[in-house]
Amino acid sequence: MTGTPAPVKNVNDQPPTTGTALDPIQYEIIRNRLLAVTEEMRIALQSVSGSPTVTEASDFFTGLYLPDGEFATMGFQVAHEAPPVGSLIRHINTNRRAPRAGDMYIGNDPYVGALHQNDVQMTGPVFDGDRLVAWAGVMAHETDVGGMNFASWCPTATEVYQEGLRIPAVKLVDQGELRDDVLEMIVSASRLPASLGLDIRAFIATINVATERLHSLFARYGSDVVAEVMRRMITATERQTRARLAKLPDGQVHVRDFLEHDGHANRLYAVDLVATKTGDRLTLDFGGSSPQAPGFINATRAGLRGGVTGALIPTLGFELAWNEGLLRPIDIVAPDGLVCTARHPAPVGSATVETIWTVTNVVQRALNLLLSCSPEYAERGQAVSSGTMATFNLGGTNQFGERFGLHSLDPLAGGSGAFASHDGIDAGGPVAVPVPAIADVESNEQVSPLLYLYRRLRPDTAGAGARSGGHSGEMGLTLRGVTGANALVMTHGAEVPNSVGLFGGWPGATVRQRFAPGAGRDDEDLLREHLAGAEPAWQELGPKPGEFPMRPGDVFAVSWQGGGGWGDPLSRAPQDVAADVERGVVSATYAEQVYGVVLTEGAVDEERTRERRLAVRTERIGAPPVAGADPGAPGHALGPALRLVRTDTGDVEVHTTAGAVLSRGSTHWRSGAVSRRIDPGAHRISLHDELAMTAHYCPLSGELLSVDVHLRAEEPLDELSLTL
Amino acid sequence: MRFRVGTDVGGTFTDLWVYGDDGRQAVLKAPSTADIIGGILRAVELAADHFELSVEEFCASIDRFGHGTTAGLNALLTSSAAPTALITTAGFRDTLEIGRLKRQLAGLTELEIGDYRNRGRWPAVVPRQLVFEIGERVDSAGEVVVPLERSEIDRVLDLVAAAEVEAVAVATLWSVANPEHEQRIAAALRERFPQLFVSLSHEVAPAVGEYARMSTTAVNAALGPVMSAYLRRLDEALRQRGLAVPVVVMTSEGGVVSADVVSDQPVSVLMSGPAAGVIACREIGHRLGHDKLLTVDVGGTSFDVGTVVKGEPLMRSRLTIGGADIQRPAIDVGTIGAGGGSIARVRDGALTVGPFSAGARPGPVCYGRGGTEPTATDADLVLGVLDEEDFAGGTMRLDRAAAADAIEERVAKPLGLGVLEAAWGIRQVLDSKMADLLRSVTIEKGHDPREFVLFAGGGQGPSHAWALCRELGIRTFVVTPTATGQSAFGTGTCELKRTVSRPHYLRLPGDGEIRAEDVAPLAEKLAAMTAEAEAASTAGPAQGERGELTIRRTAAIRYRGQAHHLDVPVAEELSSPAALGKTLRCFEEQYEALYGTGSAFREAGFELTGLRVLASRRLDGQVRPAARDELEPHGTRGVVFDDPLKPVDCQVHRTAFPAPGQTVSGPCLVMFPGQTLVVPPGAVARTDELGDFVVTLDDTEDEGASR
Repeated sequence: MTGTPAPVKNVNDQPPTTGTALDPIQYEIIRNRLLAVTEEMRIALQSVSGSPTVTEASDFFTGLYLPDGEFATMGFQVAHEAPPVGSLIRHINTNRRAPRAGDMYIGNDPYVGALHQNDVQMTGPVFDGDRLVAWAGVMAHETDVGGMNFASWCPTATEVYQEGLRIPAVKLVDQGELRDDVLEMIVSASRLPASLGLDIRAFIATINVATERLHSLFARYGSDVVAEVMRRMITATERQTRARLAKLPDGQVHVRDFLEHDGHANRLYAVDLVATKTGDRLTLDFGGSSPQAPGFINATRAGLRGGVTGALIPTLGFELAWNEGLLRPIDIVAPDGLVCTARHPAPVGSATVETIWTVTNVVQRALNLLLSCSPEYAERGQAVSSGTMATFNLGGTNQFGERFGLHSLDPLAGGSGAFASHDGIDAGGPVAVPVPAIADVESNEQVSPLLYLYRRLRPDTAGAGARSGGHSGEMGLTLRGVTGANALVMTHGAEVPNSVGLFGGWPGATVRQRFAPGAGRDDEDLLREHLAGAEPAWQELGPKPGEFPMRPGDVFAVSWQGGGGWGDPLSRAPQDVAADVERGVVSATYAEQVYGVVLTEGAVDEERTRERRLAVRTERIGAPPVAGADPGAPGHALGPALRLVRTDTGDVEVHTTAGAVLSRGSTHWRSGAVSRRIDPGAHRISLHDELAMTAHYCPLSGELLSVDVHLRAEEPLDELSLTL
Repeated sequence: MRFRVGTDVGGTFTDLWVYGDDGRQAVLKAPSTADIIGGILRAVELAADHFELSVEEFCASIDRFGHGTTAGLNALLTSSAAPTALITTAGFRDTLEIGRLKRQLAGLTELEIGDYRNRGRWPAVVPRQLVFEIGERVDSAGEVVVPLERSEIDRVLDLVAAAEVEAVAVATLWSVANPEHEQRIAAALRERFPQLFVSLSHEVAPAVGEYARMSTTAVNAALGPVMSAYLRRLDEALRQRGLAVPVVVMTSEGGVVSADVVSDQPVSVLMSGPAAGVIACREIGHRLGHDKLLTVDVGGTSFDVGTVVKGEPLMRSRLTIGGADIQRPAIDVGTIGAGGGSIARVRDGALTVGPFSAGARPGPVCYGRGGTEPTATDADLVLGVLDEEDFAGGTMRLDRAAAADAIEERVAKPLGLGVLEAAWGIRQVLDSKMADLLRSVTIEKGHDPREFVLFAGGGQGPSHAWALCRELGIRTFVVTPTATGQSAFGTGTCELKRTVSRPHYLRLPGDGEIRAEDVAPLAEKLAAMTAEAEAASTAGPAQGERGELTIRRTAAIRYRGQAHHLDVPVAEELSSPAALGKTLRCFEEQYEALYGTGSAFREAGFELTGLRVLASRRLDGQVRPAARDELEPHGTRGVVFDDPLKPVDCQVHRTAFPAPGQTVSGPCLVMFPGQTLVVPPGAVARTDELGDFVVTLDDTEDEGASR
């Protein structure tokens, strides 16, 4: 099902690019062939690899690179992982003597290009005679590369040295000869040497596939032509990306997201983004983010770039060929020493699921605000999807008496964000993983000492909205077949609603992690009690309990974040709410409380729904609404309820579709709305002590315009500063 | 005279292939009808007419009535299957909803995946409110963790009663390790609701992995009432007309089974059409003595490829159809959206062909049905490959001028090319895309395409085959006179085949000893499976169908943690650790053949995940068509081969079922009703004793032999 990103379409006809003459037919043939080669690399990797992260979840990357490290092709793989191999290539170009045919380099250093040490990369130069034409690159998440804790995620680490083996760039294959001494040294550092060894073989096979295929292309068309096609592919995507950016409104978008707990203490960190869009360029300034943390949540500068890419490719890359061209119009600005640009030797073991993930959240939000304020792309506006990935790792000795390690991918099953045009997908997963997958419960139980109590959707977790977010999944499990094992549990987003909504849509529920000690019961007693409906004595784990022992009869239970909603929940069609209730994903209580929909025996009670919705609007603004929203209201739409209007004198104003004037002279409309701090309890949202939430309403209609998450000590950001 | 008949119901036409034991054969086409059966009966009438018999005389003389149908597939894709409930283990109600997160991508083309708005196109096969949880639990070893209480069954059956469904799927966790709970639920269902169609996951999809198993079982249940009614009506209609043998139906795995088997497991025939096409080529290849085949079908909207190695089609264990993963063995047919209807566009200075298709309506510009964007068929017309006066067996006239205008306006001018150059460019882009797929289905599986013979089918296959062969370095391609009804031919000639598969999980050390106590249960299971497969292949169809029995046994083996296994042949009696050790060595040999010398990595340890026994019975007797037509000269035509500025004058021949031993040299064209064989310069085409054209390319032209 996975494949190679789409060929180009839907772009203005333009004359062929200037430069060396390249037959457009040959261009297309070679371009298709390069995409096919990238796909063949994926298949080679997934066939040989023994890591569930690779075989089940496509947590890997394959691509073809220009000599300078720019990527010309990639598969539909974790978008965060697009930049690292390029950084490795640049490092080799700068710091190593010239590569020779048949060489392959391995690396995993987050201070060179990796996101964290688990991301092991390999790259090999592809020559035509003695001329370097391209690099083939591959990387994958390896379950364990050493360090203080199993799976190399070390909550108590204070330096990167504690987080496992770090390889800046080492030649593992020298002119076709595997350096088995180096390989032995690398796998010896891992708690799972066989698994890492098999994957490194998969990497070698992947690069061999690419090299062979490229050589036959060189033989047929000439390496100059193939290299020119690769360059053209990048410039074509760059041109299309710029054309796309040019259609977004000029101005600034200021957004901020948070992550809690740095492994040592439950401190709150902000990732702050000012996105400035001018013409066909976009500058992303993260300078307002928190200083780096003492614990493993930091991202290096390479991680920041990965986080940006994780949102940029899925959000702006629709219908484009995915390559470096998407990144060329983007400038990333931030000083060193922030949580997203940590200085060596800060620990970064959980960067991918902490700061990098949060960077992806803010870039997603900023880009979707811009898309939503552009007439051509407004329908594409999407709320944030799965704003966190909670970690559940388990290590020890398995039911077969072998050392084992499990990095659960089930937590990918958060909800996806609502679109302007339709609801988000239940358990749709994050946008940075274009082809997500999780293993069957049976597959997990077969090879690991687990017994699941359930894996299912959790009702009332989707961000409410006119378009609902997707509901999150949840799982509960105990151990079976062993006497015990060590669990490692950590997340952000237990006290931060990261999966925020758009235009009055609510954030999805926050993560909830719980533990119930077995207290002498075994797994079978437990399951029987569970099926009988008994609730064990839960302990709330908070965001990062870290490593703890687990035994059969103990239960670990977690639910993930739902996707953000879009638009005021009171605008959702009552029939859609009734259908959600019938499906059992929304409770009748929630339907009434949040959506204002009253059901009688499953059917919408029209009259009481009208009354209920009116009462909610009245409560919001402290008085009965005096006007209703008019979707046909004139002006440039900034989402469903706001219009940017230019007055006769040329001034900018923001009006609601009900006719209220919220701001004059700028798009800082929040000043004119009725704003109230709100309690998110009904939405299964928990808030960190330092956070608060504010809702903004149209003073005339009571329509919900935005739900903001912000520092308790501050007012919400005025996100939009557009200069239309 | 006795007859063999094969039928295949497609979207537009219902094809019927018939062979009389006097050696005459024919392919007849009737328009498909909404009820499907009308089209089949019409085709039967046409066949009877062809042999100047009454329908009753004809039907009474049939020894084999083979059938391939898309009835199940259509029901699934149009969501018109029966309302179905699903019973599963408490805690796992959302298994279909969550769909391993993969389900949201079902049905998306590569072009669509990058646009996130397309996700979630298909709802779950069973809506959430019709999924009922039942309190019970079995573990991976098959041990009961929580027993299933009778009161719990009754509680759930009450929910089923209130649900007003026609079918119930039962899929509990680990039923493949211990089916007792599923069996007890089924017994209670059948007792209380004898009218309901009941499907059990351990029977329908016996494999570890609850999502695909549940999804397959749900699809099977939902199709059950539809398909059994359809097959009953078909059988009745044919019996009324005198058919004395039972109808046999083509499965996705490329064998026929009796209709009553299909009524129980309709999910097994979802992809019968493409499977039958590959099987047909395999039959013909077998006759010609070729055992490595690439079968290509170039239609209007899609390009399908099957691979036959050592006489056996390459298989896959899972398909995704509509929103459902189907865990059933199926012939692996690779497909891309490329065909005669593929639209050529210039975007950003580059020429793209497909995946957008003009389909049959409005169709290519030259059809004159309102199409405005040039297609591959328009290019073929301009290049001289197609005849404007004689298309689709002379039933249609094509507008060459309109095709040329469209190519000029939308391709040639924007690229600064002449019309012929632009048309040739369209051909090159399309052919190279098809060649990319052919490369990936061979090279990725460790095969060298140059060792294959290409079988060209579908309306456009015989005219593109030479270019594909040259692109891949293939020397020989075959065009059969039955190619336009290849799937029907396949259902009429294919062997009976039954597969029995069972999961069996065994962790084997990379270097340590294999324990005897691990081997004994394996041998026991294999013996039972063999007996079951033998019995299944004996029951059912008519006497004449029972040819020689072949049994093959394989084990699914992989290195620990891998997702992909290899099916490794196992000895008849897997009775000793040494025998299993031999199987593991065989795995490593296959593995290295696939991934290269030195890729084996026994340090990782092995996993055996399942066993499979395949029983097949070849049809007795041979199909030996009698000699027929001489080639009939039909003027000359200019055709573009390599230089678009210099079309080459070609002799045109016409035929339907050519006689053996005729030879023509390229450049020339051979026009069949509905297909045109293009023989390029330097190539020689010769008919074999059965009337198939075997085309041998000039090996000095072997420039494209690229891997």
